Amino acid sequence: MSRLHDMGGRFGDGSIPVPRNDENEVVNFEPTFKYDWHARAWAITLAAGALGEWNIDVSRHYRECLPPKDYINFSYYEKWLAALVNLLIDKELISLNELKEYVSAAKNGTIDNIIEKEIILDERTWLAKDVQKTLGWGGPSIRDVNVSPVFNIGDKVITQNYSPNKDITGGHTRLPKYAMGRVGVIHSYNNNHVFPDKNAHGLGENPLPLYTVEFKSSELWGELAESQNDSILLDLWEPYLKPLPN
Amino acid sequence: MIEKKKIADGHHHSHDHAHSHLPSDPELRVKAVETLLLNKGLIDSKTLDELIDTYENRIGPKNGANVVAKAWVDPEYKKRLLIDATSAIRELSYQGRQGENMVVVENTPEIHNVIVCTLCSCYPWPVLGIPPTWYKSDEYRSRTVREPRKVLLEFGLSLDPKVQIKVWDSTAEIRYLVLPMRPKGTEDMGESELAELVTRNSMIGTGLPKEIK
Repeated sequence: MSRLHDMGGRFGDGSIPVPRNDENEVVNFEPTFKYDWHARAWAITLAAGALGEWNIDVSRHYRECLPPKDYINFSYYEKWLAALVNLLIDKELISLNELKEYVSAAKNGTIDNIIEKEIILDERTWLAKDVQKTLGWGGPSIRDVNVSPVFNIGDKVITQNYSPNKDITGGHTRLPKYAMGRVGVIHSYNNNHVFPDKNAHGLGENPLPLYTVEFKSSELWGELAESQNDSILLDLWEPYLKPLPN
Repeated sequence: MIEKKKIADGHHHSHDHAHSHLPSDPELRVKAVETLLLNKGLIDSKTLDELIDTYENRIGPKNGANVVAKAWVDPEYKKRLLIDATSAIRELSYQGRQGENMVVVENTPEIHNVIVCTLCSCYPWPVLGIPPTWYKSDEYRSRTVREPRKVLLEFGLSLDPKVQIKVWDSTAEIRYLVLPMRPKGTEDMGESELAELVTRNSMIGTGLPKEIK
């Protein structure tokens, strides 16, 4: 079982939308934000996230939980905005009535009339003076916990062949469907990281060993593989993996 | 307990489709949500401006290009970069959000690396900025793991069949940067001149550095 965001390897998608110049050469430059509303949607998502009411795994899961029809039809930042609104309501930072009020004001062109002159900032609100400091720190997912990795570099492993989230039906996971039930080799161990399958559901950080696992292209795609020589590497948490004799 | 689980698994039954109340025009949608959050004091407009200015003008692929150029001229730096990319990149004051755990993968005559995020749009912000549209597209996300050679051809990159492609799918919080091969004939060039040759796509693996004429 999977959701639409889990699209690695699927058929049907066309050419990559690579920007080109008049001479049909690939262009590297693209504006950071194509439209002003992209920049605003992106920035309010970051700023609302900084209120501390949810973590990155929760926000990813909310995007993934958009109804398939919407997920397919929404552009990138429309997905962000829709998931943000659902989060704001669920976390009771805004109410549905407030949302409806502002939406109708936006629709009938009166929204600028309801902008407050005197705004009292919430104590959690991210201030401009703290932006560089907070960005520079980021949100590290490594945790210094005393958990030893079960697997060694070079060990052969097989991935779970169903969604490994055992707590929540249809819950968040970072094991893509195309790499389920496949044999790979441990390429590296990357310390212990917050486990998204739990963290996305308010079940705690539960830091666990994270490995980079290398899969042969032919193991993932069989005879469809473009080259028997190529490989695909994924970063996978220990519960996604089962041991195999070398 | 039942109620808690409903929320936990993302099935918001009480207000299942709060987002469906948004207007169809995305500009109005953003305006409505932004104004509401501003009025409630939950976001500050100066913070939004600072964020947008930072990624439009200060953090972008020039940072990554400086890292690559330094690795090309300084073998000791390159060694540090390949062993502990996060620390080596921090030496140039690039760090933080979406680059907390960096790994640099080196292209050689035998191996070509390509970066993708099939599940969302993970990308090393401190060194490359906000991802371009194509990186976030369904087409790139779905096809790159299955047919990387066809995908690279669309970027104008034709690889010898003997070269091994390694596709790195960013499924966790590790962020990847490709160290491309230094172009031929650049032996006399300094770090800042070399940085001009490093394209964004060459650091994702969908391109090569510019060649000197």
